[in-house]
Amino acid sequence: MSKLVYNEMLKIVRKKRLWVIAAIIAVLVALFTYAQYRETEELRKRLGTTDWRTQLQQQIVDLQNRLQSPSMSEEWRKYLQIRLKQQQYYLEHNINPSAPGAPTFMRTFIENAIDLFLPLLVMVVAADLVSSEASAGTIKLLLVRPVKRWKILLSKYIALLLSVSLIMLMAAVLSYAISGLVFGYGGFRLPLLTGFVQQGEDLNTANVHMIPQWKYILIELGLAAFVSVVVGTLTFMCSVLLRSTAAVMGIMLAALISGAILSNMVSSWHSAKYLFMVNLRLTDYIKGAAPPIEGMTLGFSMAVLAVWGLAGLLVAFFVFMRRDVY
Amino acid sequence: MGRRVVSFLIVVAALSGALWLGGLALAVQDQFFSVAKPPTKEQRPPTAETRQHDEKMDIVALGDSLTRGTGDESGKGYVGYMVDALRRQTDRPIRVTNLAIRGLRSDGLLRQLGQPEIQRQVAMADLIVMTIGGNDLFQGGEALRLNAKQLDEAKRRYAANLDHIFAALRRFNSEAVIFAIGLYNPFGDLNDAKRTSAVVRDWNFASAEVAARYPNIVAVPTFDLFALHVNDYLYSDHFHPNAAGYKRIGERVASLITLTEEGEQ
Repeated sequence: MSKLVYNEMLKIVRKKRLWVIAAIIAVLVALFTYAQYRETEELRKRLGTTDWRTQLQQQIVDLQNRLQSPSMSEEWRKYLQIRLKQQQYYLEHNINPSAPGAPTFMRTFIENAIDLFLPLLVMVVAADLVSSEASAGTIKLLLVRPVKRWKILLSKYIALLLSVSLIMLMAAVLSYAISGLVFGYGGFRLPLLTGFVQQGEDLNTANVHMIPQWKYILIELGLAAFVSVVVGTLTFMCSVLLRSTAAVMGIMLAALISGAILSNMVSSWHSAKYLFMVNLRLTDYIKGAAPPIEGMTLGFSMAVLAVWGLAGLLVAFFVFMRRDVY
Repeated sequence: MGRRVVSFLIVVAALSGALWLGGLALAVQDQFFSVAKPPTKEQRPPTAETRQHDEKMDIVALGDSLTRGTGDESGKGYVGYMVDALRRQTDRPIRVTNLAIRGLRSDGLLRQLGQPEIQRQVAMADLIVMTIGGNDLFQGGEALRLNAKQLDEAKRRYAANLDHIFAALRRFNSEAVIFAIGLYNPFGDLNDAKRTSAVVRDWNFASAEVAARYPNIVAVPTFDLFALHVNDYLYSDHFHPNAAGYKRIGERVASLITLTEEGEQ
């Protein structure tokens, strides 16, 4: 089995796709870093003062004034009070929460890459794992060997999981290393708030707590890896079902892009929340952003993704075992 | 592209895979099973920075809704009009930090002055303007509800707080001139104007007495500005000034600033 996995990994490495992916990540991260740099410069010019403590104190006073307003819902007041506490916490600990640093960049990068960019990179590896063997005819050579079929497919799947892991590592390391050149490498201990739960119009703040940024980033990377594995599994299934790699890519791309579009327009179509592609933005739950459909939670989205992933895996194995190869 | 590279990649992938699994486990643990504890506070001494003798003029505004500018549609408040007037007279860059909070009372201001960042801002100021006491006297802004005994008690407490406030301000910043802006009577056109005016006068006198104990603290009266035609200068809530009212206060304070600065030089 380990030899099979090794063999599959060798094929992936030989195709040199991983290097292409690394290059794509590097170029994009450099672009985003430059864009971010320009934006912070612009902000500095506009506000006139470079003293972030003055700006933050001003924000705190503004919040305190808003809290004085009598017509305010209790939940909203609580939310503002928490934000107030967060900002005062930052000030008292002499931490600039909007300080541009490599970890902050990394965090935003993962949050924005989780639903499209990372799945896309995974697809680059996953799309032709089986279909290319089918279209090139090498699948026959693979299947005539005295190894059970499911072992062959499993070895391919494990190789895919390893590749996903490598892609995540590349995204994490490259975004940290490249953005750090501009923004500096510090900031892992910056405290951040998480645990907001959206309940309809209101915000449940009962579980809000503070975690350091390194933990926050690790959580986001874990969730991004989970999403990537699910998308990779579904791509893998398509790759088993279809002979044409281009068709696999087309279908998966359409699904991912439709997810990005649907997220903006499905708030009243409740059963859409069972589609895997509107559940990809898991990091939004950590941040406390409103989900696309009311009632969606982190647990719900993870469960939906897990069910889709498992179903995809079952279909892939079932079809691969039963199919006639000629 | 040797076998070693592939083996190396497999090991790296497996190790980082364990890391992602750990992250996922952390996500589940943190989001579903963690017991929320409120963020703990941990004080840190404020960074030592004092008034800079540079060209820029730093103005810090402290106090309640009057300093905030509640009632002025343009949102400037007397601070804004004061700065407008100052800009007409000088080319020095002026930076205003308005730290006023609506509804603040003297005890609230005293507490606000306990924050290290507020202390730092005060320390860096070239000039401080403030209003306080309006909410101590007119509780809730409706009308004068207190009877004579309660009034005495409120005044005593207010004067004690004000003393602490001025002492704190002087401690953080021994040089900057402080303008403590007095109260006007927003109920000057009502039936018991006589009584309310007497109370406000008395209150202002108490403030001025406290201010006189400290160097460079100037009690600025506004009572006279609103004595006639009070409704022309009040906002629709009949309590806060409107734009015209704020403009009068702002211009009065601005006129004092030029005089004091020339006196210094």
